[in-house]
Amino acid sequence: MSDIEELVGQVMAEHDDEAPRAGDLLHALAGAGAPAETWSWRRRRGGLAARGRAARASRAGWLLPAAAGIAVGAVMIGSAWAGGLFGGRHATRTAIGQTTRLAELSCPARYRGAAPWVPARPVGVGGRSRLAPLRTPASAVVCGYVPDLRYKDLAGHLVGRVLTRQRQLTGGLAALAGDLAWLPRLLPGQQIACLLVLGPQSNYLIGLAYRGGGRIWVSTTADASGCVLTSNGDFTTFSNASAQAAKAARTGRWPEPPRSVSCGSGGRLGQETAMVPAGSTSLTICAGRTVRTLTSGYQDLVAALNALPARTSTRECSSKPPFHGQNYQLEFAYPQGPAVQVRVSAYCYPAIDNLSLQAYSAKAILPIIKRLLRAS
Amino acid sequence: MDLDEALTDLVACNGDRLLRVGFPLTHDRAAAQDLVQGALLRVYLTVRRGGREPQDWYAYLRRAVINEYLRTGRLLSGTEVVTDRVPEAPPAESADGQVDDRAEVWAALGTLSARQRAVLVLRYYEGLPDGEIAALLGCREASVRSLASRGLAAMRRLAVPAGVAEEDAI
Repeated sequence: MSDIEELVGQVMAEHDDEAPRAGDLLHALAGAGAPAETWSWRRRRGGLAARGRAARASRAGWLLPAAAGIAVGAVMIGSAWAGGLFGGRHATRTAIGQTTRLAELSCPARYRGAAPWVPARPVGVGGRSRLAPLRTPASAVVCGYVPDLRYKDLAGHLVGRVLTRQRQLTGGLAALAGDLAWLPRLLPGQQIACLLVLGPQSNYLIGLAYRGGGRIWVSTTADASGCVLTSNGDFTTFSNASAQAAKAARTGRWPEPPRSVSCGSGGRLGQETAMVPAGSTSLTICAGRTVRTLTSGYQDLVAALNALPARTSTRECSSKPPFHGQNYQLEFAYPQGPAVQVRVSAYCYPAIDNLSLQAYSAKAILPIIKRLLRAS
Repeated sequence: MDLDEALTDLVACNGDRLLRVGFPLTHDRAAAQDLVQGALLRVYLTVRRGGREPQDWYAYLRRAVINEYLRTGRLLSGTEVVTDRVPEAPPAESADGQVDDRAEVWAALGTLSARQRAVLVLRYYEGLPDGEIAALLGCREASVRSLASRGLAAMRRLAVPAGVAEEDAI
Protein backbone atom coordinates (compact mmCIF):
# COMPACT_ATOMS: atom_id res chain seq x y z
CA MET A 1 0.00 0.00 0.00
CA SER A 2 1.38 3.39 -0.97
CA ASP A 3 1.64 6.32 1.38
CA ILE A 4 -1.18 8.19 -0.32
CA GLU A 5 -3.48 5.19 0.14
CA GLU A 6 -2.65 5.03 3.83
CA LEU A 7 -3.04 8.76 4.21
CA VAL A 8 -6.49 8.70 2.60
CA GLY A 9 -7.78 6.25 5.20
CA GLN A 10 -6.19 8.13 8.07
CA VAL A 11 -7.56 11.46 6.94
CA MET A 12 -11.07 10.02 6.67
CA ALA A 13 -10.79 8.60 10.18
CA GLU A 14 -9.53 11.92 11.51
CA HIS A 15 -12.83 13.50 10.49
CA ASP A 16 -14.93 11.00 12.45
CA ASP A 17 -15.66 13.47 15.19
CA GLU A 18 -17.11 15.95 12.72
CA ALA A 19 -19.76 13.53 11.54
CA PRO A 20 -23.24 13.90 13.01
CA ARG A 21 -24.36 11.39 15.60
CA ALA A 22 -27.24 8.94 15.78
CA GLY A 23 -28.91 11.20 18.32
CA ASP A 24 -29.04 14.00 15.75
CA LEU A 25 -30.59 11.61 13.28
CA LEU A 26 -33.20 10.38 15.73
CA HIS A 27 -34.11 13.89 16.59
CA ALA A 28 -34.48 14.78 12.93
CA LEU A 29 -36.56 11.68 12.25
CA ALA A 30 -38.77 12.40 15.23
CA GLY A 31 -39.25 15.94 14.04
CA ALA A 32 -39.97 14.92 10.47
CA GLY A 33 -42.31 12.10 11.42
CA ALA A 34 -41.45 8.59 10.36
CA PRO A 35 -43.78 6.38 8.39
CA ALA A 36 -46.53 4.99 10.56
CA GLU A 37 -46.29 1.39 11.60
CA THR A 38 -48.75 -0.88 9.92
CA TRP A 39 -50.56 -3.89 11.23
CA SER A 40 -48.54 -6.24 9.07
CA TRP A 41 -45.33 -4.74 10.37
CA ARG A 42 -46.46 -5.26 13.94
CA ARG A 43 -47.42 -8.83 13.13
CA ARG A 44 -44.00 -9.52 11.64
CA ARG A 45 -42.33 -8.14 14.72
CA GLY A 46 -44.56 -10.20 16.97
CA GLY A 47 -43.94 -13.31 14.97
CA LEU A 48 -40.23 -12.87 15.20
CA ALA A 49 -40.39 -12.22 18.90
CA ALA A 50 -42.17 -15.55 19.33
CA ARG A 51 -39.37 -17.49 17.68
CA GLY A 52 -36.84 -19.38 19.70
CA ARG A 53 -33.53 -18.04 20.86
CA ALA A 54 -31.59 -20.12 18.37
CA ALA A 55 -33.58 -18.74 15.51
CA ARG A 56 -33.12 -15.21 16.77
CA ALA A 57 -29.42 -15.65 17.24
CA SER A 58 -28.98 -16.36 13.58
CA ARG A 59 -30.60 -13.14 12.55
CA ALA A 60 -29.25 -9.73 13.14
CA GLY A 61 -30.76 -6.53 14.25
CA TRP A 62 -33.90 -5.21 12.67
CA LEU A 63 -36.41 -6.82 14.89
CA LEU A 64 -34.15 -7.91 17.67
CA PRO A 65 -34.17 -5.80 20.77
CA ALA A 66 -31.31 -3.42 20.41
CA ALA A 67 -30.02 -4.46 23.80
CA ALA A 68 -29.16 -7.88 22.45
CA GLY A 69 -26.91 -6.40 19.81
CA ILE A 70 -25.27 -4.15 22.29
CA ALA A 71 -24.75 -7.07 24.65
CA VAL A 72 -22.94 -9.00 21.93
CA GLY A 73 -20.67 -6.04 21.44
CA ALA A 74 -20.15 -5.78 25.15
CA VAL A 75 -19.02 -9.39 25.36
CA MET A 76 -16.62 -8.79 22.51
CA ILE A 77 -14.92 -6.01 24.35
CA GLY A 78 -14.82 -7.94 27.58
CA SER A 79 -17.40 -5.93 29.39
CA ALA A 80 -20.75 -6.65 30.89
CA TRP A 81 -22.16 -3.25 30.06
CA ALA A 82 -25.74 -4.19 29.42
CA GLY A 83 -27.47 -0.94 29.82
CA GLY A 84 -26.45 0.85 26.70
CA LEU A 85 -29.58 0.18 24.76
CA PHE A 86 -28.58 3.03 22.61
CA GLY A 87 -25.53 4.12 24.50
CA GLY A 88 -22.92 1.93 22.89
CA ARG A 89 -19.27 2.63 22.37
CA HIS A 90 -18.01 4.14 19.21
CA ALA A 91 -15.57 2.30 17.04
CA THR A 92 -13.19 4.76 15.50
CA ARG A 93 -10.82 3.92 12.72
CA THR A 94 -7.29 5.06 13.22
CA ALA A 95 -5.82 3.60 10.08
CA ILE A 96 -6.86 1.43 7.23
CA GLY A 97 -8.24 -1.85 8.44
CA GLN A 98 -7.61 -1.02 12.06
CA THR A 99 -10.44 -0.31 14.44
CA THR A 100 -9.81 0.89 17.93
CA ARG A 101 -12.44 0.95 20.62
CA LEU A 102 -12.37 4.30 22.30
CA ALA A 103 -13.57 4.90 25.81
CA GLU A 104 -16.37 7.10 24.55
CA LEU A 105 -20.07 6.82 25.25
CA SER A 106 -22.95 7.96 23.12
CA CYS A 107 -26.29 9.13 24.41
CA PRO A 108 -29.32 6.88 24.71
CA ALA A 109 -31.97 8.03 22.27
CA ARG A 110 -34.55 8.24 25.00
CA TYR A 111 -34.66 8.91 28.69
CA ARG A 112 -36.73 5.89 29.50
CA GLY A 113 -37.81 6.16 33.10
CA ALA A 114 -38.75 8.44 35.91
CA ALA A 115 -35.88 10.66 36.99
CA PRO A 116 -33.31 9.92 38.18
CA TRP A 117 -32.99 7.23 35.51
CA VAL A 118 -29.71 5.93 34.13
CA PRO A 119 -29.28 3.55 31.20
CA ALA A 120 -26.98 1.32 33.24
CA ARG A 121 -25.39 1.05 36.64
CA PRO A 122 -21.68 1.76 37.01
CA VAL A 123 -19.43 -0.79 35.35
CA GLY A 124 -15.72 -1.21 36.03
CA VAL A 125 -15.60 1.66 38.51
CA GLY A 126 -16.93 2.00 42.02
CA GLY A 127 -20.29 3.70 42.03
CA ARG A 128 -21.43 3.01 45.54
CA SER A 129 -19.10 5.21 47.56
CA ARG A 130 -19.28 8.26 45.30
CA LEU A 131 -21.48 9.57 42.53
CA ALA A 132 -18.43 9.35 40.25
CA PRO A 133 -14.78 8.49 40.85
CA LEU A 134 -12.35 11.24 41.81
CA ARG A 135 -10.09 10.41 38.89
CA THR A 136 -10.49 12.27 35.64
CA PRO A 137 -12.43 10.35 33.01
CA ALA A 138 -10.92 9.67 29.60
CA SER A 139 -14.02 11.09 27.95
CA ALA A 140 -17.44 12.35 28.86
CA VAL A 141 -20.66 13.04 27.06
CA VAL A 142 -23.57 15.21 28.16
CA CYS A 143 -27.03 14.30 26.90
CA GLY A 144 -30.04 16.60 27.18
CA TYR A 145 -33.65 15.39 27.10
CA VAL A 146 -37.01 17.09 26.98
CA PRO A 147 -40.49 15.57 27.35
CA ASP A 148 -41.83 13.80 24.33
CA LEU A 149 -45.52 14.47 24.02
CA ARG A 150 -46.10 11.13 22.32
CA TYR A 151 -45.32 8.99 25.33
CA LYS A 152 -47.85 8.94 28.14
CA ASP A 153 -48.75 6.37 30.77
CA LEU A 154 -52.30 5.17 31.39
CA ALA A 155 -52.95 8.17 33.61
CA GLY A 156 -51.90 10.51 30.84
CA HIS A 157 -48.62 11.56 32.44
CA LEU A 158 -45.71 12.22 30.16
CA VAL A 159 -43.24 9.39 30.58
CA GLY A 160 -41.00 9.56 27.56
CA ARG A 161 -38.18 11.99 27.01
CA VAL A 162 -36.34 12.40 23.79
CA LEU A 163 -32.71 13.28 23.18
CA THR A 164 -32.32 16.84 22.00
CA ARG A 165 -28.68 17.53 22.67
CA GLN A 166 -25.54 15.42 22.73
CA ARG A 167 -22.12 16.85 23.36
CA GLN A 168 -18.80 15.10 23.77
CA LEU A 169 -16.87 17.23 26.22
CA THR A 170 -13.56 18.56 25.03
CA GLY A 171 -12.51 20.21 28.27
CA GLY A 172 -13.13 20.54 31.97
CA LEU A 173 -13.04 16.79 32.60
CA ALA A 174 -11.12 17.20 35.85
CA ALA A 175 -13.64 19.78 37.04
CA LEU A 176 -16.43 17.39 36.12
CA ALA A 177 -14.87 14.64 38.21
CA GLY A 178 -14.35 17.04 41.10
CA ASP A 179 -17.91 18.32 40.97
CA LEU A 180 -19.54 14.90 40.91
CA ALA A 181 -17.20 13.00 43.22
CA TRP A 182 -17.83 15.18 46.24
CA LEU A 183 -21.61 15.43 46.15
CA PRO A 184 -23.11 14.25 49.43
CA ARG A 185 -24.99 10.99 49.70
CA LEU A 186 -28.73 10.81 50.26
CA LEU A 187 -29.13 8.91 53.51
CA PRO A 188 -31.35 5.81 53.57
CA GLY A 189 -34.93 6.87 54.18
CA GLN A 190 -34.06 10.55 53.95
CA GLN A 191 -37.08 12.54 52.89
CA ILE A 192 -36.25 15.81 51.24
CA ALA A 193 -38.75 18.56 51.78
CA CYS A 194 -39.19 20.55 48.63
CA LEU A 195 -41.90 22.71 47.21
CA LEU A 196 -43.55 21.11 44.23
CA VAL A 197 -43.57 23.74 41.51
CA LEU A 198 -45.06 22.95 38.15
CA GLY A 199 -42.75 23.89 35.37
CA PRO A 200 -40.56 22.57 32.61
CA GLN A 201 -38.16 19.80 33.45
CA SER A 202 -34.96 19.08 31.56
CA ASN A 203 -33.16 15.84 32.17
CA TYR A 204 -29.47 15.33 31.63
CA LEU A 205 -27.39 12.21 31.46
CA ILE A 206 -23.67 12.54 31.96
CA GLY A 207 -21.73 9.58 30.66
CA LEU A 208 -18.17 9.18 31.91
CA ALA A 209 -15.77 6.64 30.44
CA TYR A 210 -12.44 5.71 31.97
CA ARG A 211 -9.25 4.17 30.71
CA GLY A 212 -9.48 0.48 31.33
CA GLY A 213 -13.12 0.30 30.34
CA GLY A 214 -14.97 1.68 33.36
CA ARG A 215 -18.18 3.55 32.64
CA ILE A 216 -20.67 5.43 34.72
CA TRP A 217 -23.84 7.35 33.90
CA VAL A 218 -25.17 10.13 36.09
CA SER A 219 -28.67 11.50 35.85
CA THR A 220 -29.36 15.04 36.98
CA THR A 221 -32.42 17.16 36.39
CA ALA A 222 -33.22 20.83 36.08
CA ASP A 223 -36.68 21.42 37.49
CA ALA A 224 -38.38 24.37 39.07
CA SER A 225 -38.94 22.66 42.40
CA GLY A 226 -35.52 21.12 42.90
CA CYS A 227 -37.25 17.96 44.05
CA VAL A 228 -35.61 15.58 41.59
CA LEU A 229 -32.62 13.66 42.85
CA THR A 230 -29.32 13.02 41.11
CA SER A 231 -28.06 9.44 40.83
CA ASN A 232 -25.74 7.00 39.11
CA GLY A 233 -28.02 4.06 39.88
CA ASP A 234 -26.07 3.04 42.98
CA PHE A 235 -25.37 6.35 44.67
CA THR A 236 -28.00 9.06 45.01
CA THR A 237 -27.64 12.64 46.11
CA PHE A 238 -30.04 15.48 46.68
CA SER A 239 -27.49 17.84 45.15
CA ASN A 240 -27.80 18.83 41.56
CA ALA A 241 -25.41 19.28 38.66
CA SER A 242 -27.92 20.29 36.01
CA ALA A 243 -26.72 23.89 35.73
CA GLN A 244 -23.21 22.73 34.91
CA ALA A 245 -24.56 20.02 32.59
CA ALA A 246 -26.65 22.56 30.70
CA LYS A 247 -23.63 24.81 30.25
CA ALA A 248 -21.43 21.90 29.22
CA ALA A 249 -24.02 20.80 26.66
CA ARG A 250 -23.86 24.27 25.12
CA THR A 251 -20.12 24.83 25.24
CA GLY A 252 -18.57 21.36 25.15
CA ARG A 253 -16.64 22.09 28.34
CA TRP A 254 -17.57 21.30 31.92
CA PRO A 255 -17.43 24.66 33.72
CA GLU A 256 -14.78 25.27 36.31
CA PRO A 257 -16.19 25.61 39.83
CA PRO A 258 -16.37 29.15 41.17
CA ARG A 259 -13.30 30.14 43.13
CA SER A 260 -15.43 31.23 46.06
CA VAL A 261 -18.90 30.04 46.91
CA SER A 262 -19.12 31.77 50.23
CA CYS A 263 -22.31 30.91 51.99
CA GLY A 264 -24.00 29.43 48.98
CA SER A 265 -25.76 26.14 48.76
CA GLY A 266 -24.09 22.84 48.13
CA GLY A 267 -22.66 20.04 50.12
CA ARG A 268 -19.79 17.65 50.46
CA LEU A 269 -19.47 13.92 50.68
CA GLY A 270 -18.93 12.94 54.32
CA GLN A 271 -21.37 15.44 55.79
CA GLU A 272 -23.85 12.62 56.20
CA THR A 273 -21.65 11.06 58.90
CA ALA A 274 -20.30 14.18 60.61
CA MET A 275 -21.79 17.67 60.73
CA VAL A 276 -18.36 18.98 59.74
CA PRO A 277 -16.13 16.32 58.16
CA ALA A 278 -12.48 16.38 59.21
CA GLY A 279 -9.89 18.24 57.22
CA SER A 280 -11.40 21.69 56.76
CA THR A 281 -8.88 24.48 56.24
CA SER A 282 -11.02 27.57 56.68
CA LEU A 283 -14.33 28.76 58.03
CA THR A 284 -16.43 31.54 56.60
CA ILE A 285 -19.23 32.89 58.76
CA CYS A 286 -22.03 34.73 57.02
CA ALA A 287 -24.32 36.71 59.26
CA GLY A 288 -26.49 38.88 57.09
CA ARG A 289 -24.14 41.27 55.36
CA THR A 290 -21.28 40.41 57.69
CA VAL A 291 -18.85 37.89 56.28
CA ARG A 292 -15.76 36.70 58.17
CA THR A 293 -13.24 34.11 57.10
CA LEU A 294 -11.00 32.32 59.58
CA THR A 295 -8.17 29.98 58.79
CA SER A 296 -7.48 28.99 62.38
CA GLY A 297 -8.96 29.11 65.85
CA TYR A 298 -12.32 27.62 64.92
CA GLN A 299 -11.69 23.98 65.76
CA ASP A 300 -13.69 24.23 68.97
CA LEU A 301 -16.69 25.16 66.83
CA VAL A 302 -16.10 22.06 64.68
CA ALA A 303 -15.84 19.91 67.80
CA ALA A 304 -19.01 21.40 69.26
CA LEU A 305 -20.98 20.89 66.06
CA ASN A 306 -19.83 17.29 65.73
CA ALA A 307 -20.69 16.59 69.37
CA LEU A 308 -24.35 17.48 68.91
CA PRO A 309 -26.88 14.67 68.72
CA ALA A 310 -27.88 14.63 65.09
CA ARG A 311 -30.53 13.02 62.93
CA THR A 312 -31.14 12.72 59.22
CA SER A 313 -31.99 16.08 57.73
CA THR A 314 -35.34 16.89 56.19
CA ARG A 315 -34.05 20.35 55.17
CA GLU A 316 -36.97 21.88 57.07
CA CYS A 317 -37.25 23.86 60.25
CA SER A 318 -40.14 25.40 62.16
CA SER A 319 -40.09 28.87 63.66
CA LYS A 320 -40.62 29.10 67.40
CA PRO A 321 -40.85 32.02 69.78
CA PRO A 322 -39.46 34.61 69.87
CA PHE A 323 -39.63 34.27 66.06
CA HIS A 324 -36.63 36.48 65.54
CA GLY A 325 -32.91 36.18 65.96
CA GLN A 326 -29.73 35.79 64.04
CA ASN A 327 -29.26 33.24 61.28
CA TYR A 328 -25.74 32.15 60.45
CA GLN A 329 -24.43 30.29 57.48
CA LEU A 330 -21.16 28.53 58.15
CA GLU A 331 -18.98 27.44 55.28
CA PHE A 332 -16.18 24.99 56.00
CA ALA A 333 -13.75 24.84 53.08
CA TYR A 334 -11.36 22.03 52.15
CA PRO A 335 -8.22 21.83 50.04
CA GLN A 336 -10.08 19.72 47.51
CA GLY A 337 -13.75 19.51 46.68
CA PRO A 338 -16.68 21.63 47.76
CA ALA A 339 -17.31 23.23 51.12
CA VAL A 340 -19.70 22.05 53.79
CA GLN A 341 -22.50 24.49 54.49
CA VAL A 342 -24.07 24.52 57.94
CA ARG A 343 -27.09 26.63 58.74
CA VAL A 344 -27.35 27.77 62.33
CA SER A 345 -30.57 29.47 63.36
CA ALA A 346 -31.49 31.15 66.60
CA TYR A 347 -35.23 30.66 66.22
CA CYS A 348 -35.95 27.90 63.70
CA TYR A 349 -35.84 24.30 64.84
CA PRO A 350 -34.04 22.01 64.19
CA ALA A 351 -31.61 24.88 64.53
CA ILE A 352 -28.61 23.34 62.80
CA ASP A 353 -28.64 21.72 59.40
CA ASN A 354 -25.99 20.77 56.87
CA LEU A 355 -28.61 19.29 54.48
CA SER A 356 -27.64 15.76 55.46
CA LEU A 357 -27.78 16.00 59.25
CA GLN A 358 -29.81 18.16 61.59
CA ALA A 359 -29.32 18.98 65.27
CA TYR A 360 -32.16 20.42 67.28
CA SER A 361 -30.54 23.08 69.47
CA ALA A 362 -27.96 25.76 68.75
CA LYS A 363 -27.69 26.74 72.39
CA ALA A 364 -24.10 25.53 72.70
CA ILE A 365 -23.08 26.79 69.27
CA LEU A 366 -24.30 30.39 69.14
CA PRO A 367 -21.90 31.67 71.84
CA ILE A 368 -18.93 30.20 70.00
CA ILE A 369 -19.96 31.83 66.71
CA LYS A 370 -20.41 35.21 68.38
CA ARG A 371 -17.01 34.89 70.02
CA LEU A 372 -15.36 34.07 66.71
CA LEU A 373 -17.04 37.05 65.04
CA ARG A 374 -15.88 39.38 67.78
CA ALA A 375 -12.32 38.08 67.64
CA SER A 376 -11.96 38.31 63.86
CA MET B 1 -46.88 10.13 12.87
CA ASP B 2 -45.20 7.93 15.34
CA LEU B 3 -41.52 7.19 15.23
CA ASP B 4 -41.51 3.46 15.13
CA GLU B 5 -39.58 1.60 17.78
CA ALA B 6 -37.85 -0.59 15.22
CA LEU B 7 -36.64 2.40 13.26
CA THR B 8 -35.40 3.96 16.48
CA ASP B 9 -33.48 0.81 17.35
CA LEU B 10 -32.08 0.66 13.86
CA VAL B 11 -30.76 4.18 14.07
CA ALA B 12 -29.45 3.65 17.55
CA CYS B 13 -27.52 0.52 16.61
CA ASN B 14 -26.15 1.63 13.26
CA GLY B 15 -26.59 5.37 13.03
CA ASP B 16 -23.19 6.49 14.26
CA ARG B 17 -21.27 4.15 11.95
CA LEU B 18 -23.39 5.01 8.94
CA LEU B 19 -23.02 8.73 9.57
CA ARG B 20 -19.25 8.34 9.77
CA VAL B 21 -19.34 6.70 6.36
CA GLY B 22 -21.65 9.39 5.03
CA PHE B 23 -19.48 12.26 6.16
CA PRO B 24 -16.41 11.63 3.94
CA LEU B 25 -18.79 11.00 1.06
CA THR B 26 -20.59 14.31 1.43
CA HIS B 27 -18.05 16.47 3.30
CA ASP B 28 -21.01 18.09 5.01
CA ARG B 29 -22.76 17.27 8.29
CA ALA B 30 -26.25 18.14 7.14
CA ALA B 31 -25.80 16.34 3.83
CA ALA B 32 -24.45 13.25 5.62
CA GLN B 33 -27.44 13.24 7.91
CA ASP B 34 -29.86 13.65 5.00
CA LEU B 35 -28.10 10.87 3.14
CA VAL B 36 -28.31 8.36 5.99
CA GLN B 37 -31.82 9.43 6.87
CA GLY B 38 -32.98 8.91 3.30
CA ALA B 39 -31.35 5.49 3.11
CA LEU B 40 -32.82 4.39 6.42
CA LEU B 41 -36.31 5.39 5.42
CA ARG B 42 -36.00 3.57 2.11
CA VAL B 43 -34.90 0.39 3.87
CA TYR B 44 -37.58 0.78 6.50
CA LEU B 45 -40.30 1.09 3.90
CA THR B 46 -38.93 -1.83 1.89
CA VAL B 47 -38.90 -4.16 4.86
CA ARG B 48 -42.25 -2.93 6.04
CA ARG B 49 -43.72 -3.82 2.68
CA GLY B 50 -42.56 -7.38 3.20
CA GLY B 51 -38.99 -7.27 1.99
CA ARG B 52 -36.50 -9.85 3.13
CA GLU B 53 -34.65 -9.18 6.36
CA PRO B 54 -30.89 -9.26 5.84
CA GLN B 55 -28.40 -11.28 7.83
CA ASP B 56 -26.08 -8.34 8.36
CA TRP B 57 -28.03 -5.20 8.95
CA TYR B 58 -25.10 -2.86 8.99
CA ALA B 59 -23.84 -4.10 5.61
CA TYR B 60 -27.36 -3.84 4.22
CA LEU B 61 -27.78 -0.29 5.45
CA ARG B 62 -24.33 0.71 4.24
CA ARG B 63 -25.27 -0.52 0.78
CA ALA B 64 -28.44 1.57 1.02
CA VAL B 65 -26.40 4.62 2.00
CA ILE B 66 -24.02 4.16 -0.92
CA ASN B 67 -26.91 3.61 -3.34
CA GLU B 68 -28.67 6.69 -2.01
CA TYR B 69 -25.45 8.66 -2.37
CA LEU B 70 -24.92 7.56 -5.98
CA ARG B 71 -28.62 8.03 -6.80
CA THR B 72 -28.72 11.58 -5.45
CA GLY B 73 -25.34 12.21 -7.09
CA ARG B 74 -26.85 11.26 -10.45
CA LEU B 75 -29.85 13.47 -9.84
CA LEU B 76 -27.55 16.37 -9.16
CA SER B 77 -25.08 15.56 -11.92
CA GLY B 78 -26.90 17.76 -14.42
CA THR B 79 -26.46 20.76 -12.21
CA GLU B 80 -23.32 22.71 -12.80
CA VAL B 81 -21.70 23.77 -9.58
CA VAL B 82 -19.91 27.07 -9.78
CA THR B 83 -16.97 27.29 -7.47
CA ASP B 84 -14.10 29.68 -6.94
CA ARG B 85 -11.74 26.80 -6.11
CA VAL B 86 -9.16 25.92 -8.71
CA PRO B 87 -8.74 22.15 -8.52
CA GLU B 88 -5.11 22.22 -9.54
CA ALA B 89 -4.13 24.89 -7.05
CA PRO B 90 -1.05 23.93 -5.05
CA PRO B 91 -1.41 23.61 -1.28
CA ALA B 92 -0.80 26.70 0.79
CA GLU B 93 2.61 27.21 2.31
CA SER B 94 2.64 26.45 5.99
CA ALA B 95 5.13 25.90 8.76
CA ASP B 96 3.20 22.77 9.62
CA GLY B 97 3.27 20.95 6.35
CA GLN B 98 1.85 17.75 7.76
CA VAL B 99 -1.42 19.38 8.74
CA ASP B 100 -1.71 21.09 5.39
CA ASP B 101 -1.09 17.82 3.56
CA ARG B 102 -3.90 16.19 5.42
CA ALA B 103 -6.22 19.11 4.84
CA GLU B 104 -5.37 18.95 1.15
CA VAL B 105 -6.08 15.23 1.02
CA TRP B 106 -9.46 15.80 2.63
CA ALA B 107 -10.23 18.63 0.25
CA ALA B 108 -9.06 16.59 -2.72
CA LEU B 109 -11.38 13.75 -1.74
CA GLY B 110 -14.26 16.15 -2.04
CA THR B 111 -13.42 16.95 -5.65
CA LEU B 112 -13.62 13.36 -6.91
CA SER B 113 -16.57 11.92 -8.76
CA ALA B 114 -19.25 10.26 -6.65
CA ARG B 115 -18.24 6.74 -7.72
CA GLN B 116 -14.55 7.37 -7.15
CA ARG B 117 -15.29 8.78 -3.73
CA ALA B 118 -17.54 5.84 -2.86
CA VAL B 119 -14.83 3.38 -3.87
CA LEU B 120 -12.17 5.15 -1.81
CA VAL B 121 -14.41 5.37 1.26
CA LEU B 122 -15.36 1.71 1.04
CA ARG B 123 -11.80 0.60 0.36
CA TYR B 124 -9.78 2.79 2.72
CA TYR B 125 -12.28 3.71 5.43
CA GLU B 126 -14.46 0.62 5.58
CA GLY B 127 -11.60 -1.66 4.59
CA LEU B 128 -13.66 -3.70 2.12
CA PRO B 129 -11.98 -5.90 -0.52
CA ASP B 130 -12.51 -4.93 -4.14
CA GLY B 131 -14.79 -7.92 -4.71
CA GLU B 132 -17.25 -6.73 -2.07
CA ILE B 133 -17.09 -3.18 -3.32
CA ALA B 134 -17.84 -4.42 -6.84
CA ALA B 135 -20.84 -6.38 -5.59
CA LEU B 136 -22.01 -3.39 -3.61
CA LEU B 137 -21.72 -0.99 -6.53
CA GLY B 138 -22.99 -3.50 -9.07
CA CYS B 139 -19.92 -3.39 -11.27
CA ARG B 140 -16.91 -5.53 -12.12
CA GLU B 141 -13.90 -5.79 -9.85
CA ALA B 142 -11.74 -4.33 -12.60
CA SER B 143 -13.97 -1.26 -12.60
CA VAL B 144 -13.40 -0.84 -8.88
CA ARG B 145 -9.64 -1.01 -9.35
CA SER B 146 -9.88 1.50 -12.16
CA LEU B 147 -12.03 3.92 -10.15
CA ALA B 148 -9.67 3.64 -7.19
CA SER B 149 -6.60 4.13 -9.33
CA ARG B 150 -7.99 7.19 -11.08
CA GLY B 151 -9.27 8.60 -7.79
CA LEU B 152 -5.90 8.21 -6.10
CA ALA B 153 -4.12 9.70 -9.08
CA ALA B 154 -6.39 12.73 -8.95
CA MET B 155 -5.77 13.07 -5.24
CA ARG B 156 -2.03 12.88 -5.73
CA ARG B 157 -2.24 15.69 -8.25
CA LEU B 158 -4.39 17.84 -5.99
CA ALA B 159 -2.86 17.08 -2.62
CA VAL B 160 0.86 16.85 -3.42
CA PRO B 161 2.59 19.99 -4.65
CA ALA B 162 3.99 19.84 -8.14
CA GLY B 163 7.66 18.99 -8.12
CA VAL B 164 7.57 17.43 -4.67
CA ALA B 165 8.00 13.71 -4.38
CA GLU B 166 5.07 11.96 -2.73
CA GLU B 167 7.17 10.51 0.06
CA ASP B 168 8.58 13.96 0.80
CA ALA B 169 5.15 15.49 1.03
CA ILE B 170 3.65 12.91 3.38
